[in-house]
Amino acid sequence: MKFIHFLYIAFAIFIVAACDLEQEINIDLPDFERGIAVECYLEPGKPFRLLMTHAEAYFAPLPPLDETFFDILLVDSASVNIIHQGVTYSLQNNFSFDIEQGKFFNYVAPQIVPANYNIDFDLNIVTKDGRTITATTTILEPITIDSVVVEFEDEPRNDTLFARTLTYFNDIPDQRNFFRRMVHLSSLDSIPLQDFSTDDRFVQDRVVFGTQFEFADGDTVFHTIFHLNEDHYNFLESTQNAVNGNFNPFGQPSPIISNLESDAENITGIFTGLSFDQVISILEE
Amino acid sequence: MYRIFSAVLLILALPFWLKAQETATLSGTIIEAETGETLIGATILVANYNLGTTTNEYGFYSFSIPKGEEINVEFSYVGFSSVVKTLILKEDQTINIELSSGIQLEEVVVKANSFEEQLRSTQMSVEEISTKEAKLVPVIFGESDILKTIQLKPGIPSGSEGTTGLFVRGGGADQNLIVLDEAVVYNANHLFGFFSTFNTDAVKDLKIYKGGFPAQYGGRLSSVIDVKLKEGNNKKFAGSGGIGIISSRLTLEGPIEKEKSSFMISGRRTYVDIFTRLANQANEENEDFSPIPDYYFYDLNTKINFKLGEKDRLYLSGYFGRDVFGFSNDFFNFDFDWGNATGTARWNHVFNPKLFANTTFTYSDYQYNIQNRVTGFSFKVGSKIRDTNVKTDFYYAINNQNTIRFGAVATYHQFQVGRLQAGSDDGEIEFSAGQNFDGIQTGAYLSDEITFNPQLKLNVGLRLSGFFNDGDNYFGLEPRVALNYILNDKVALKTSYARMYQYLHLVANSGITLPTDIWYPSTKLVKPQRSDQVAIGGSYLLNRNLFFNIESFYKFLDRQIEFVDGAQLFANDNLEQEFAIGKGRSYGLELSVEKKEGSLTGWIGYTLSWTRRGDFDLIDNTRFFEQNRIGDFSPIYDRRHDISVVAIYEINRRLTATATFVYGSGDLRWLPTGRFTFQDVYGQGSSPVVPLYEGRNNYRLPAYHRLDLGLVIKFFPKWGESDLTINVINAYDRRNTFFIYLEPETVTDINTGIELPTRVSANQVSLFPILPSLTWNFKF
Repeated sequence: MKFIHFLYIAFAIFIVAACDLEQEINIDLPDFERGIAVECYLEPGKPFRLLMTHAEAYFAPLPPLDETFFDILLVDSASVNIIHQGVTYSLQNNFSFDIEQGKFFNYVAPQIVPANYNIDFDLNIVTKDGRTITATTTILEPITIDSVVVEFEDEPRNDTLFARTLTYFNDIPDQRNFFRRMVHLSSLDSIPLQDFSTDDRFVQDRVVFGTQFEFADGDTVFHTIFHLNEDHYNFLESTQNAVNGNFNPFGQPSPIISNLESDAENITGIFTGLSFDQVISILEE
Repeated sequence: MYRIFSAVLLILALPFWLKAQETATLSGTIIEAETGETLIGATILVANYNLGTTTNEYGFYSFSIPKGEEINVEFSYVGFSSVVKTLILKEDQTINIELSSGIQLEEVVVKANSFEEQLRSTQMSVEEISTKEAKLVPVIFGESDILKTIQLKPGIPSGSEGTTGLFVRGGGADQNLIVLDEAVVYNANHLFGFFSTFNTDAVKDLKIYKGGFPAQYGGRLSSVIDVKLKEGNNKKFAGSGGIGIISSRLTLEGPIEKEKSSFMISGRRTYVDIFTRLANQANEENEDFSPIPDYYFYDLNTKINFKLGEKDRLYLSGYFGRDVFGFSNDFFNFDFDWGNATGTARWNHVFNPKLFANTTFTYSDYQYNIQNRVTGFSFKVGSKIRDTNVKTDFYYAINNQNTIRFGAVATYHQFQVGRLQAGSDDGEIEFSAGQNFDGIQTGAYLSDEITFNPQLKLNVGLRLSGFFNDGDNYFGLEPRVALNYILNDKVALKTSYARMYQYLHLVANSGITLPTDIWYPSTKLVKPQRSDQVAIGGSYLLNRNLFFNIESFYKFLDRQIEFVDGAQLFANDNLEQEFAIGKGRSYGLELSVEKKEGSLTGWIGYTLSWTRRGDFDLIDNTRFFEQNRIGDFSPIYDRRHDISVVAIYEINRRLTATATFVYGSGDLRWLPTGRFTFQDVYGQGSSPVVPLYEGRNNYRLPAYHRLDLGLVIKFFPKWGESDLTINVINAYDRRNTFFIYLEPETVTDINTGIELPTRVSANQVSLFPILPSLTWNFKF
């Protein structure tokens, strides 16, 4: 009987102790020299615009959530130029918020990005303290979504008949292509139900991306296929790997693979063209 | 290299110049009286002539003694009653000896070899553990695990908390040759490494070589783990088993024909899945309940052996194990299984009292399979390696000054790497990927153990290895040298050198060995790995029962494989493009004190070591940016200090108390040093804190330490013997670090919908709190 009591006590100790296997700790990371992160997406039909922020040591103080937030986060007073076909587009240090897209920028030019595919755009940045950043990119031709097929399940579940969508498009043969797929429900400012990047290693000609049976009659679904260049793909993948590597004990972290070039430390980001096709479907049984 | 080759040949020729004596050969096999199992490493000693030898790994011994003179030969094995025979040899004679372990109830048998034999042996850098010892040492969930227990020996730091990944003397997890009855085991793990594939009940002997590799071994750089299964009791039917918290096991053995043939069959299975299925069924109607995935593992060991005559013996053995993980819901069915299968057919033949041969055919298979089925679509991915192997080894005791070993091996490897099939049920969408390779690995070796005089022994050997893969042929010349100089009856000095080639590479991207890690052959671009290890050390017999050992080693590693940053591993038909090839080195010092007789037995081990990798070049220099280039770094298992203390105290015939304490400098981890805000394109929310990683493995975790306690209560019912084993793992509830992650906290701005960071913190995850367990074991 005493032995049984011992087992009960041991089991109780185990249960109590097992509830506390994760705890916040203080750690001292290696030094990190303050750097710069740049994002610039050249979207035909939209103005030239760019976001330049500080890259900080991981545990550096965060900007307070008040009117000084953007002053601390953003890198101001830099000279930013984009050169394309001999024309220099100067981006001024003006804060701009795109309400439609929910994105902000701190360098903008009034000119519209021309739909000139596969022709170089050169980025040239000189910061107030003399750091230079350069990059080159092109805008790829968009890949057109061929069709979106809606399929409803044969039998309802919990009194609802669920549907899935299949998005079809054609791969461009004889070249390596990279895609980003997004699916949004109801609106584009919602968290995407799907968001992943991939290449065309596995496909010959026709490509399809599907969803689960998760939509109901009347749902509005946004299907977007981005045609990425390799730099953009590497940047997205490495960003995802960096985020996952931090949380996954079985994963391999990754430095960010950026196409920005600089002689300064800790310069990262992406300068790329943005081309995509989008189909909006309203599901009907 | 040519000079080394000439020198080795010169030394190998020595036996033919040594003067022959008027001797006869005494040979035979030493077996355990109660079971008929051959005893490995039993000692045969002729004290008045200062002659001695030990049984080889097949229980065979052979040595020469003067003709016509009366001699007393003592046959002994630690924990067994010695047998002394008075002989006058007029001609070669075969004497098979049975040693009885009748005293074992009063004395804990913890080690196969005697300290004296260790002192005399040229073999250094080797650790052994008996199954009896492994069963006493406290382990997680009470699941006795011989591979995990041997990690308590110096120089064999384990991987992350709770795993069986071995990083021997700074080597990688793929640099260990693990053989079970001479068949290669490619993944020696169950449950993602929490348990090894070796069921202690079925194991007869486990030996790990950390350096000074004998010439008969090749194919891996850093260690050889030689596991031998029990042969089966050929005298009477017997059984053993246990019921634990997470699994049960049963081993049966007995004679097929008494003292001529026997069998052994041993199996175990976990049963957590039975309870999780019940929980899932009970909550079927509960929408808030997330179903628990199914998981279980099982393994089965079998062996039979036949004594075909006085000179021939045939052994057939096999292993089959699988881990099975499954999860399904309304949307998909996910199945993941992995495991090894091995088979061995082994024939021992005694040509004459001096010449013994062992010929082996083995088959090894390791594979993993993942299947996922979504309505209308299915997806399968897997990898496989399969070996078919033939090997023959000869043991030739020319005279007491020279024992030659020679042999040859050929292995046919078949690889399926990253096999992927996916598509829709209607066949409209189909895609696949994967590569198939095959290759032949060969080896031939010759070694001689030369006894110059009772003080000086030299073991010199040469191995020629080769690998042939679709026109890409590689050869390696692998010299092996070990020297033992006995200063007096208490002190011996030893040194060794070994070169090893490794033709197969494990594609793994973390310090934790995972079932999805892929074995990859040497190819035109991926050249064989190579190591050169030098060790020097000494042994001191403090008294008959206390043994001190010190060794220092330096290991050079060439053509080490790492992944480039951001490597694409999944179903990649050009996996080589993701490799970077570099160099490595490790060096250190190992100390141990061991006591193996008396009420209190155990050991204390300490390792001081450094491990480094660097000078990496990309295989494909065109694809990657400067950011992909790998600088010099230390692997995560670069552990500066490693201490282990194992104590086994036999209180009385019924009670044995055990304790182990381990302390290790924290492992390294690759943590981000910076962060930036990633806004992304429209349609996707922003990531306010994206970690920025710089140099690899830049942060050392806090020190790891843990105390485990155990109590074995024995019972002696009429039908046999049983015990209750109570273990308390992590007795003082230390929160050792398994994993650290950095976490941002954010709020969403109500005006813009943008996520804004408010705080970043570091969090530590531990695996084991204080963890008691209870296991009931029995044998009859």
